[in-house]
Amino acid sequence: MTTATTHRRARGAATTRTGPVEARRPCPPRRLLGANLPYQLLTFAVFAVAWEAYATVWGGLLLPTFTETVGATFQLLGTAELWQAMYVSNQALVIGFAIAVVIGVPLGIVLGRFRALERFADVYLNILLVTPMAAIIPLLMMSVGFGLASRVILVAVFSIVMVVVNSRTGVRQVDPSLIEMARSFGATERQIWTRILFPGALPAIMTGIRLGVGRAVTGMVLVELLMVSAALGGLILEYRGLFRAPMLYGTIVIIVAEALLLISLARWGEHRLTRWSKATTARSTR
Amino acid sequence: MIEVRGLGKSYIGQDGGVVQALQDVDLTVADNEFLTVLGPSGCGKTTLLKAIAGLIPWNEGDIFIDGSPVRGPGPERSMVFQNFALLPWATVLENVAFGLQMRGVGKTERIERARALIETVGLGEFETKRPGELSGGMQQRVGIARALAVQPSVLLMDEPFGAVDEQTRRLLQEELLSIWEEHRLTVVFITHSMEEAVLLGDRVVLMSARPGRISEIVPVPLTRPRSSDVGALERSGKYVEITAYLWDRLRDMHEERRPAKAGR
Repeated sequence: MTTATTHRRARGAATTRTGPVEARRPCPPRRLLGANLPYQLLTFAVFAVAWEAYATVWGGLLLPTFTETVGATFQLLGTAELWQAMYVSNQALVIGFAIAVVIGVPLGIVLGRFRALERFADVYLNILLVTPMAAIIPLLMMSVGFGLASRVILVAVFSIVMVVVNSRTGVRQVDPSLIEMARSFGATERQIWTRILFPGALPAIMTGIRLGVGRAVTGMVLVELLMVSAALGGLILEYRGLFRAPMLYGTIVIIVAEALLLISLARWGEHRLTRWSKATTARSTR
Repeated sequence: MIEVRGLGKSYIGQDGGVVQALQDVDLTVADNEFLTVLGPSGCGKTTLLKAIAGLIPWNEGDIFIDGSPVRGPGPERSMVFQNFALLPWATVLENVAFGLQMRGVGKTERIERARALIETVGLGEFETKRPGELSGGMQQRVGIARALAVQPSVLLMDEPFGAVDEQTRRLLQEELLSIWEEHRLTVVFITHSMEEAVLLGDRVVLMSARPGRISEIVPVPLTRPRSSDVGALERSGKYVEITAYLWDRLRDMHEERRPAKAGR
């Protein structure tokens, strides 16, 4: 017992200094270790090397090496075909996601405020959350056709659930005593919505928008792959058909890059708008 | 003047039984009186305050403010909350101006009035901070400034210093006394501290639980103004005597409610 204690104390003394120590900023290497980026770059490098090695040894017609993919990506970025496809795809993304936000945020707030409504809505939200969306694509095609409308609808349906569920959670997290406080000062129902519920739910709404963006990109590509074979999805199918694997992978890389960019943008907006809320990043998706 | 006549409120508890939160509460608060309400937890003191504030419905009786019946929140009343109830996204200035904004006061005027009250509670340099950056005591100063900004004649305070530390609490009590001595308004102050009830109040309303009713109203014949020398007041025989008496009464209430020991 005694030996163990002294042993531990001795070891502790060796690693952490006590007593007067001057406060100072961590030196640059230490600060670098604290950031996320170095780790992300490191894992990416490991991944790239492994890919390169695997593809060189076992690769074939459908598995290009990492360097081939990077080359193809840059080649693609120089073609008019890609930018045309990006334009067409993103039309559906922008319109569809805008609809999801415009409908989803108020719907979520209403559901959060009125618990009774939720009993009706909960089951449909769960259906939206778990249904394999691919299953409704044929239905959409039959009712709306192959045009922009059906792609827009699919993107909206895909992403709206995240927006609704998070807005609802956000409203529920608003401290009820704030509503009571507003009422005590004679706030009208309208003022309670605009001055208390909406700003209080904003951090969660922004989280919903960020998660929704990710789902919207998925929806955008999926509908093109399975339904209309247009734009980016069409490019993927085309390159697959021609066995041009590097170009196929290059297209996917570009789609992933776009999704990451949009999500970062949403996260940036989230932080800017809701600096008062420390729980922003820790908030759950449901 | 606040008149509470035969107030009763009951609700269905979690076990399905009827809980009598308030029963036959009769109370008159004079203009510019500082009334403290003391009682064990669950005695309905907060319910009584919220009823006067017009925030909750009740089953029996009536409440009148200057002769007119309470049918909801009104411009002559404002409230200070135990958990501060500040908007976390708004600055100190916006929070203090919130009540004025709800009452349709124009922007220039409400900023001016809010600034004056922020000075009164000594938060001048924190005007642009958000509640999360303030200590509990400072947050409640914001809460008090917000309530005073609407220039109420009745100030309703629901255990306003219950969530701050002892030292801050004493400072806030002294500040509240000097604010009240200067502004002269009617205050109904809920607390669970005997010392606080005696230090602040002209009368102490002692409430008992289950059903929540007024058990006794104890006058506090201590001289005013009290803010100048709180220490001397607390050493005075009267103060000690009243707090001791209140504790005797409260202990009796707790004894009655204590569950019988097993096996005896």
